[in-house]
Amino acid sequence: MTGLDLHKVFRPEKKGLKPPHYKLMTEAQLEEATRKAIEEAKTKLIMPPVLNEREPIDDVLAEDKILEGTETAKYVFTDLSYSIPHRERFIVVREPNGVLRKATWEERDRMIQIFFPKEGRRVIPPTLFKDEKLGTVFQQDRHEDVLNMCIAQFEPDSPDYIRVHHRTYEDIEKHGKYDLLRSTRHFGGMVWYLLSRKKADGLLIDMINRDLLDDATSLITLYHMLHPECQSAKKAKEQKLQGVDLIKVFVKTESQREGYIQLALQAYEEAMATSSAS
Amino acid sequence: CHALTTLMGRGGHVIIRFALGGCTNRPFFRIVAANSRRARDGKYLEQLGCLDPLPNAHGEKVAGLNLERLRYWLGCGAQLSRPAEKLLGLAGFLPLHPMTVTGAERLRRRRQREQQTEAAPADGSAETGTDTGTGTGTGP
Repeated sequence: MTGLDLHKVFRPEKKGLKPPHYKLMTEAQLEEATRKAIEEAKTKLIMPPVLNEREPIDDVLAEDKILEGTETAKYVFTDLSYSIPHRERFIVVREPNGVLRKATWEERDRMIQIFFPKEGRRVIPPTLFKDEKLGTVFQQDRHEDVLNMCIAQFEPDSPDYIRVHHRTYEDIEKHGKYDLLRSTRHFGGMVWYLLSRKKADGLLIDMINRDLLDDATSLITLYHMLHPECQSAKKAKEQKLQGVDLIKVFVKTESQREGYIQLALQAYEEAMATSSAS
Repeated sequence: CHALTTLMGRGGHVIIRFALGGCTNRPFFRIVAANSRRARDGKYLEQLGCLDPLPNAHGEKVAGLNLERLRYWLGCGAQLSRPAEKLLGLAGFLPLHPMTVTGAERLRRRRQREQQTEAAPADGSAETGTDTGTGTGTGP
């Protein structure tokens, strides 16, 4: 459903200016090159993980009441051994009141970025990810850039990552700008979010309007896999429906915007009829 | 433990201590394994971490310790300087240093004394700044 639009996936990123590079190829070489390009595009379109929010860390290792009042600031100790995965690193904090505790997730992320910097990530997250500023970015239709930056900056199970993603998806759903994310790796995440909250009607209409019937059917199959106890899922399983019938059953039972979807389906069928007739 | 065998002549042992760096009014310590007879900031065998003694914007003093290599050098028979021992005690890698505890108690006693002398200034009478702090054996 993500769609493989080569022009959009390999659209030139804003890098330095270079004159275009022309190659002279035979037919076979051209096919070979396109095949390789498709494979590369598929790797670029792999969906980033969707995880639940992480539990806050709350573990006290030692309490030394004697040390109370000696220090004014807390000490953060990071284990810098090279061959440990970042998730298992020991990062402990000695508070001024003498308590030795494990560091919170935010402290962990900051320390790991200080000592083992990752490209594209800042020690202090940019102000772009605050709720007020996100609105400005959405007005400029730059949802994809925001999501790319979010993936670079935050861990997939951090609350900030989840919040930014949910806000982006909500905004897209409100304005119906589904095409912005089509053929990017964020499309899967958006579909998952909409389906788990049963807000997939706008997306369905968009797909039918663009004549993407296969995508629409796969969307509804996915919906049935997610919510197997709903009416349309049961009917579909009984009657083993395919294609447009599946959509019609779904529309009758589950959707909120029944009228719109019926209209879109009718328009699609008329278009099919005229194109097949001509 | 190759470093121990290449000691020139006789004497000198591996020590883990702080090497001071940074600029004026801006210290920065590197936790370093070096020969004890080297200059404080001179050539060292290996850097095992760092400590920033000034608190950052979040009010924390950041310290990094390469525990894996630290364990190696301690296994080779390296010794620790007192500040290094205190830092590792604070970190929880070693047990808390006794001087840290003693320092904390002394500080507390000094603060108490100051509070008492402040509490009775209007007296005018000699602040018997009772220095009868005959140290009654404060712990091991």
